[in-house]
Order: sequence, then structure tokens, then C-alpha cells
Amino acid sequence: MTQIQVRNLSKVFRVPEREGGFVASLRSVFRRKYRQVNAVDDVSFTVAQGEIVGFLGPNGAGKTTTLKMMSGLLHPTSGECRVMGHVPWRREAAYLRKISMLMGQRSQMAWDLPPMDSFLVHGAVYDIPRKQYESTLDELVELLDLKDILKKQVRTLSLGERMKCEICISLLHRPQVLFLDEPTIGVDITMQARIRDFVAGYNRRYGATIILTSHYMADVTALCKRIIVIDHGHILFDGQLGELSAKLAPFKVIKIDLDREMDGYDFAALGDIILCEGRKVAIRVPKKSAPSVTDRLLSEVPVLDLTIEDPPIEDVIARAFGQRRLGDVTGDASEARVPAAESAS
Amino acid sequence: MRVLFNSFSAFLRVAIATMMQYRGEIFLWAVWGLINPAVLYAMWSAAAEGNVDQTLAGFDRGQFGAYYFCIMIIGHVTTAWDAYELGYFIRSGSLSPKLLRPILPVWEALAANIAYKVATLAFVVPSWLIFYLIVRPTFSAGLWQISLGLLAVVLAGVLNFVIGYVVALVAFWSPKLDAVGEAYFGMAMMFGGRFAPLEALPWLLKEIALVLPFRWMYAFPAELLMGKIATASEALAGIGMQLVWLAAFVLAFRVGWAAAVKRYTAVSG
Amino acid sequence: MITRAAKLISLYARVNIQNLAAYRFDMYMRIVVSILHLISELMGVWIIFHGTRSVRGWQWQHMLVLVGVYRLVAGGIRIAIVPNMRRLLEDIRNGTLDFVLLRPVNSQFLVSIREVVVYRVADVLLGIFVAGYGCYALRGALPFRESVEFALMLAAGFAIVYAVWLMLGTLCFWFVRVQNIEMVFWNVFEAGRFPIDIYRPQVRWLLTYVIPLAFITTVPAAALIGDEAKIPPSAPLWGFALAGIMLFVSNRFWHFGLRHYSGASA
Repeated sequence: MTQIQVRNLSKVFRVPEREGGFVASLRSVFRRKYRQVNAVDDVSFTVAQGEIVGFLGPNGAGKTTTLKMMSGLLHPTSGECRVMGHVPWRREAAYLRKISMLMGQRSQMAWDLPPMDSFLVHGAVYDIPRKQYESTLDELVELLDLKDILKKQVRTLSLGERMKCEICISLLHRPQVLFLDEPTIGVDITMQARIRDFVAGYNRRYGATIILTSHYMADVTALCKRIIVIDHGHILFDGQLGELSAKLAPFKVIKIDLDREMDGYDFAALGDIILCEGRKVAIRVPKKSAPSVTDRLLSEVPVLDLTIEDPPIEDVIARAFGQRRLGDVTGDASEARVPAAESAS
Repeated sequence: MRVLFNSFSAFLRVAIATMMQYRGEIFLWAVWGLINPAVLYAMWSAAAEGNVDQTLAGFDRGQFGAYYFCIMIIGHVTTAWDAYELGYFIRSGSLSPKLLRPILPVWEALAANIAYKVATLAFVVPSWLIFYLIVRPTFSAGLWQISLGLLAVVLAGVLNFVIGYVVALVAFWSPKLDAVGEAYFGMAMMFGGRFAPLEALPWLLKEIALVLPFRWMYAFPAELLMGKIATASEALAGIGMQLVWLAAFVLAFRVGWAAAVKRYTAVSG
Repeated sequence: MITRAAKLISLYARVNIQNLAAYRFDMYMRIVVSILHLISELMGVWIIFHGTRSVRGWQWQHMLVLVGVYRLVAGGIRIAIVPNMRRLLEDIRNGTLDFVLLRPVNSQFLVSIREVVVYRVADVLLGIFVAGYGCYALRGALPFRESVEFALMLAAGFAIVYAVWLMLGTLCFWFVRVQNIEMVFWNVFEAGRFPIDIYRPQVRWLLTYVIPLAFITTVPAAALIGDEAKIPPSAPLWGFALAGIMLFVSNRFWHFGLRHYSGASA
């Protein structure tokens, strides 16, 4: 059964152009120049009830904008969207009561009070029947292991503990559709895994539909059978995780610091050269051959330091879908790629 | 309706608990509300003494005492800070979660507003009494004036909250427009009768004050409470004006809020 | 020693001026708000003297001078005193005060010069303009002797405010959570909008000797007006003595606080 239907959805933002210089900025107080940004560009897809769909893409790709339009926080420039028969941006109470949106960095908890108080308010605002409220809360407290922190002030909680509370409050009214925007941002790896397990469990138990955005590959691959890759506002891929994995042809980035420059050495024979500048070299190799290439490097060139990293998601997408994003994929030594590669570590 | 009531009482409970966390801070806010009328009382009673008949604009020392005693109470009841806070919510992004709830954020703000006023009562009431004992104001109000006056004070509180919230909506268009809040506050001060009784204003300012809503929030309830308004018809007409302004601004809120949310969902989310 | 101090001050001031451009919109907004405040204060004078000719011997020209002085002093406090003390409180809370203490410069001096909110100069200029106009309206000229006396009294007033703030700031070594000291200060400062002569004798005494607000606004304004009825001839002496005593006491208190601070965090 189709629960979410998105057709030709677009969102164009007007952003003021910033100009340098005192006079120019003074002038811009009166007359501003604007630039059009197509945050989401003609996006269509449908989601069936009970699916978990992952939105994957780099920062600024349009994932959050799409999510906000589906939750009713943003009005699209054009296109249609129906969620359980509602047009989200009409923001009808009946609709808002059936959904929940968890924004990793924005809290819905009362900062100065214990979580329990926020839960109570939530129960009243969403008009949850007393019995259901109590049983859901007990269940969530049990599953999320919240017992010890229910009486602590929210602002004294650690980020992970707070995240658990945010999840708890988002699920108290048993939403049928759950939007998760970067739910694991900033929490440690064990906590990330627990959050994933929990979300999967909620989906199984209540048959809820879940839409998740992340720029962590692991979040998406662990939870979602279906992936939508989005970049520059366009859908690049919409299909099963398995298909995507095949496309993604996993690879690793090996970075080395050399003791001295190796002008004559043929690094290109080992893999794609991302960077080759003086004594710093970075090479992209298929995941399988990473160990053998590492061996060769260690034995053939004077290596001071060597790291093996997962490539950043921008690179993965660029490679898989042939987008020219961060320089040419086949490997000239462009500087633009270096900071991106480093940010993955 | 039931949902609204339940939600509102939950908001209220939580808001009072939050206020208790910040009792030090809110008491300081409350002090500020006391100092301003006390200083102005001293100013005006001194000014009245400079005149031959010891009165100014028909107020003698004791009547200035009564007027500013009432203004002190009304000032507390009409405190509202949304003109500053809403802009902060928008800038910090904390408005989005509030918008996702199936209830208007204004209810939460109203609950916080009432919670503040209730939580500080234990502190302001003794302060009012001390002011009363020192100043020894002369009241000439009868029972009916006091009871209608209390109603007018409550209406003034509601009216100021609604107007303040409507003014705060400007923040959706320009989140850093502090000057709007300041201008609003300054106008309420001058034209509402907080700085001086309306009778004491030069005619130009008085004419302006008569057409603005502010006088119905300060000067009118204060004059009614102290007994300056002698006839019941005048008192009822004033309460009628309060209701008219209230209706107008509730309407303005509905229109303004719809436009504000439209704007918000168009650009920021 | 003095050249080094001047160098440090100008260095910090330069950094602050450069930051100005980044918060341009805030700056314009604050200036607009300052002007709004001034307008409402002037309207206040208009309203008062619509109803009477003098308030305890203060005529409208006198009151204009006081309004100007009030704005000037409030502006001066916001230029350098409040921002530095805010930063001090922050540093104490975050434990970053250690960086200040490690510098080979007098700590009290350093915590007092780091922040300058340059655009608040607008308040000072507006204040001088209004006070100057009031003076001019009174006698058609700016008298030299009174202006010098005024400048001296103003300096004493600022010294007193600074000492009060330093003591309030030092209190935070013990009570880290005192966040609203600033509000307490402005609450009390509000009473200085009008001449202290309007208050009852007890209140006046309180505002002169216990909370020396009189020396911050009323006394400098009276000095500029040059009216002996408003301040006794001994008031300037009192003002200087008080400023000296408070500077000394606040300096001792600061060092006492520092000892407590380093003792507690070690």
C-alpha cells in the first residue's frame, strides 16, 4: 500500500548574494541581489507502508529539504506530495499527530527539567490516551534503557542520553510515519548501532514507515533495504541496497607520507592517484587489493606514515554516478579533493 | 477543546517548574518592574510639589502614589517578552520542533507568561505592600470600581500579550529586528500612561495616546482601580474598548500567524 | 610601563574595531535603539516640564543636561566596562581565566581592557550633544571652569562604576552561577535617570553613601550646570575621595578573589 507519494517536487531558495567591501555591503542593505538555488529539483518517488528508506547524499544535497517538505515544515516551489492522504504543508493537526520528525541537532525537550516533564507535555499535546501513554512509555523506557536518566535535568545529559530521550519522545504517540534527519550525528559508534537497532525494531513492531537521511554510509546500509541517492537536488539512484552496492564497487584510499620525493616511481600502476604532491601521496584502490598494494608500498618506497581510509561519500557518489564533482575522477592531482579526502578520516 | 485544555495545563505545569529553576533570574526581572514605577512616582510627586497648589494634572502626592501603585501591579500583570524571544527561537532553529506539534506555539508562550507571573507573586506582593506602606496612597475607589478594575487589569494582561505576540511576528521577516521590540516598549511607556498619567501629557502626545491601544492597558485600569473613573458607564465603555482592541489583535494574530508560517515554510523550515 | 599599557589598550581596541564590520547589522540596530531611547528620554523631559516649571529646583535646561549625562555615562559603561566584565564572568565560568593569569601583565589591567564595543560611542556623542545643548540653553555658552569640573566629576563617576563592577565580577569567584549581575546593576542605575533630589532624604542618603549613584549622574550634571544649590561645594571632594577608596578596595578585593580562585582550582 502506497503511503507516501512524491511527484515532481522542487524547492528553489533565493539566497542573498554577499558582496565584499563597505560600500557594497551598505548598498546591499537597501537593495539585495539574490541567487537562485535549486535545493530539490523535480524529485519523484513513492514509499509503501512499512518500508525503511534511506536518503543518502553529501551535505547540502537536498536530503533535509525533501524531508522537511514531507513533514510540512517547508512549502515546495512546485510539485506534489501526499503522505497518508494528507498534503503535508497544510499542517493539519490530524496529519501532525500521525508523524514524527527527529532532527539530530534540534531538541524538543525542555532543557531545564527532567525528561519526564517533556514526555508528559507531549502526551497532552498529542492527546494520547492515558493507558496507551503509560504502556508506550514503559516499553520505550525499557528498550532504550532510560530508567536512570528520567529524573535528571536534560541539560546535564550526555549527547547520547539526550538522543535516546529525543527518540523516546518522538515515538510516544506511535507515529505511523517517522522522519529521521541525521539521527546519529555526533554520537559515538556504539550508540549509533543501538539507535539503528532500535529504529529497526520499531519498524518491525508497528509496521511504521521510516524515512532516514544520513551522510554516514553505515546508517543507511544497516537499516534500509531501499536507498535513494540524492545529490544537487536530483535523485541519482532509487533502488535496492544490493544494486547500489554493486554499483559502488567498494574501494579504499591509501595515504602515505614519504621520507623523500619519489619522482621516478610509477604510483599510477597501483591505482588511481588522487594526490601526488612532493612527499604526500594518496591512491584509490579497490578494497580487495588494498592489502597487497599496502605491502608493495611498504617494501618498495620509503614510507614514513601510512593510513587506509574509506573514501568520503561525495567521492563514492561521484564515482558511482559519474558526476564531475570533486575534480576528475580518473585522477589528476587536483587540490580540491584533498580536504574532502581528509574529512573522511 | 479538551486537547487544548490538557495541553495548556501541561505547558503550565512545565513552565512553572522551569521558572522555579530560574527563580533568581525571574526575581530580578520582577524587581526591574518595581523600580521603574517607584522612580517615576518619586519624580512626579516631587514635580507636583513645585506647583503652587501642590498638584499636577489633577494629581496630588497621594494620588500619584495610588496611580503608580496601580501601574506597578499592572506592569507586572502585563509583562511579556515574546517580542524578544520569538526572534531567538527562529534564529536558533528551535521553532521547527514547535511547529511540528499539532498545537499553536502561542499556547506554550502564554503558559510560560502566566507561569512567570504566578511564580513571582510570592515576591512581588510583599514588595507592593512595602511600597504601599511607604507611599501611603490615597484611593477613592469603591467596591465596584475595584472589582471592575481587577477585570480590566486581567484584560490588560491578555491584550498586551496578544499585541506583543503580533509585534513579535515581525521576527519572521527579519529575525534581528530588536528595534521593533524597543519601539513598541517605548510607545507603551509614553502613550500608555506608564511614564506619566495621560492627563499630564502635552496635547499633541495626548491626542496620539488617545487613539492608540496602549492607554487601555495601563492608564485605564490604573485610573479605574484608584477611583479616578467616577461613573459605571465610563468604566464599562473602557472595558468595551479593551475587548474591541483584543478582538482586533486576535484577528491580526490569526492573519499574521498564517502569513508568518507561510513565510517560514517558504524560506527556512 | 605606561607606553606598554597604552600599546596593549590600542592593540585590543584595534582588534575590536576590526570585528565591528562582522556585526554591522547589529551595530546599526543598536544605534537605532540608542536614538529611540534618547528620543523617549527627551520626550520625558518635555512631558515633565509641561506640567511644572521646576522639580526640586531642576528646570528643563538642567534636566536636559542630566539626560545627556545619563546617556553619556550609560554609553561609557557599555563601551568598556560591561563588555569586559561579561567576558570576565565567562572566563571564570569556563575556566579560561587561567590564560589571562599566565600573561606577564597585571591581571586586573588585562581583564579590564580586552573588550571595547566601539559603536556605543554613539551613545556618548548623543549624550554630549544633549548635555551641551542644555548648558547652552541655560547661559548661551559653554563655561570653561564648569566643563573642567564636570570632566573631573565624570571621571570620578566612571571610576566608581568601574570599581563597583570589578567587585561584582570578583564575586563570581565564589558564586559562579551569578549570571544576572548585569541586570541588578541596570536596575539600580535606572534610579539615576532623575536628580537624586527627587527622592526622600533617607533614599537620597542611601543613593549617596551606600550605593553612590549620586556621584555617577547627578553630581557631574550639577557640576556642569554650576549651581551650588544642587551640590554642596564639598561634593567634588567627596566624589574623589570615594572614587579613590573604592578603586583601592576593589583592587584589594580582586587580589583576594584571585587567591581564592587559584586556591580552589589547584
